[in-house]
Amino acid sequence: MSYKLTPVALIAMALYASGTCAEETGTPMFSFSGFGTLGLVHSSEDKADFTSSYFKPNGAGYSHGWSADVDSLIGGQVTANLTPQLSAILQVISEQNYDTTYRPHVEWANIKYQFTPDISIRAGRVVLPAYLVSDYRKVGYTNPWVRPPIEVYRLIPISNSDGIDASYRVRVGELINTMWGSYGKSESRHPAGGAVKAKSLWGLSNTVEYGPLTARIAYLNANVTVESVNALFDAFRLFGPEGIAMADKYDFANKLFSFLALGASYDPGSWFIMGEWGSVESRSVGGKAAAWYVSGGYRLGNVTPYVTYAQINPDNLSDPGLNVSTLPPSLAGPATSLNTALNSLLSSKPSQRTVSVGGRWDFTKNTAFKLQYDHTRIEAGSTGILINTQPGFQLGGKINMFSATVDFVF
Amino acid sequence: MNRAGFIIIGLALCLVAAEAVADVVAVVSAKSPVTTTLSKSQVVDIFLGKASRFPDGSQAVPIDQVEGSAARDEFYLKFSGKSPAQLKAHWSKIIFTGRGQPPREVSNSIEVKKFLNENPNAIGYIEQSAVDGSVKVLLSQ
Repeated sequence: MSYKLTPVALIAMALYASGTCAEETGTPMFSFSGFGTLGLVHSSEDKADFTSSYFKPNGAGYSHGWSADVDSLIGGQVTANLTPQLSAILQVISEQNYDTTYRPHVEWANIKYQFTPDISIRAGRVVLPAYLVSDYRKVGYTNPWVRPPIEVYRLIPISNSDGIDASYRVRVGELINTMWGSYGKSESRHPAGGAVKAKSLWGLSNTVEYGPLTARIAYLNANVTVESVNALFDAFRLFGPEGIAMADKYDFANKLFSFLALGASYDPGSWFIMGEWGSVESRSVGGKAAAWYVSGGYRLGNVTPYVTYAQINPDNLSDPGLNVSTLPPSLAGPATSLNTALNSLLSSKPSQRTVSVGGRWDFTKNTAFKLQYDHTRIEAGSTGILINTQPGFQLGGKINMFSATVDFVF
Repeated sequence: MNRAGFIIIGLALCLVAAEAVADVVAVVSAKSPVTTTLSKSQVVDIFLGKASRFPDGSQAVPIDQVEGSAARDEFYLKFSGKSPAQLKAHWSKIIFTGRGQPPREVSNSIEVKKFLNENPNAIGYIEQSAVDGSVKVLLSQ
């Protein structure tokens, strides 16, 4: 808890130290902005839950016929311009947490020093820019869809990092190139218990903007621990060299994790097309996975219909596990249970493809209404992105989802 | 000519008149050191927060007209192809990551000219009909 407050404390200190406003810039010292989404989701699969984040405990389907927890959130932000170079930002979001509460959490809290209009560094809790829309993935109003394509955006579920980052922008004629680098760590509580920790979390990205075209490449690397799965692998280690080898292959304890993403968008105003490809790799139960999407829309006045295709393909969804036949009967039972638990984890890796059709209606100032229909085909042997699977749930299969949101900024 | 014909002609004249009133041009103060004309995208980048300098390297401070004004809607639509909602989304992306704040706003073209007069490094847009000796036109649409 005290660790979470550190960036806030930094900002408080900066505010205290700075005293008053930077009058000569003409910009107000403090500005407040907010954003939010009210959403409802229905899923045709009633023996499991669909939800939008790896860190949410339930959603639409089994727990709720119509769930407001999947997409609803509200966020507020205070920006303080301390001097023309020095600014601080605090953004707080309330959304469904791992423990089903809506207790607000600090999304960003950092101090920025702008050496020149094109070079800046930040310290504190900063965005982890894995994707094209990472900077504003929670600000529904800025995106065409109800939510960013989940197949790709699930690869990196964390959205911020505690540490430092720096960005450098260069303009060559009409081309703008922005390089970014960061170093930090992250820790998030997971509904299954324990935390997901990323240490030595560093990343690099490069974005090129040329008129309506934006193209981007990003790479992230970290030592990742997923505490909830590791007790299982401690049990595997009791089964001699074979068990230890399996535990080393699959546990998620301080495992090197890497992520590579490419993305591009073209938005001349009256229509847009965008796509991203991402790939993760770690020697863990998470293994390797690659995902991509392509999305396009056409703006007809205040209405923007769009269509998206997305898919995610992981590596193995099952493993023979420990060789039970060579074990004495007293150990065969526990070994079979461990194998079942391992395969249950492996089958929970999403393997699916989704076609989404939807529309955004900018019906009044600063507010948009969106409807989206998703048809998802889950590959054999996978639960897909669904969680809380109940007795009778079949791996693989098809689901239909219907979502409606109202997104606003203020 | 029947009544429908007059109505159509009347409507057409109204449209022409609306077009003429809403024609906007990008301007700097007559005292501004900027002498070169700018391309559409160079002007737009300054207003969208993507560029902070004129092509000659001098600092550029954009000044907007208020949300909902005809000149503002016309300027962004013609120069960047963005509707008011798209412009709001653009700034929301920047505000909610602390990367910047939208330009200061004034209420009309007269106020823009007043602001430019007091800030030689500023850039604004005004109706064509409001152009006078106090400003230099950088780009007309």
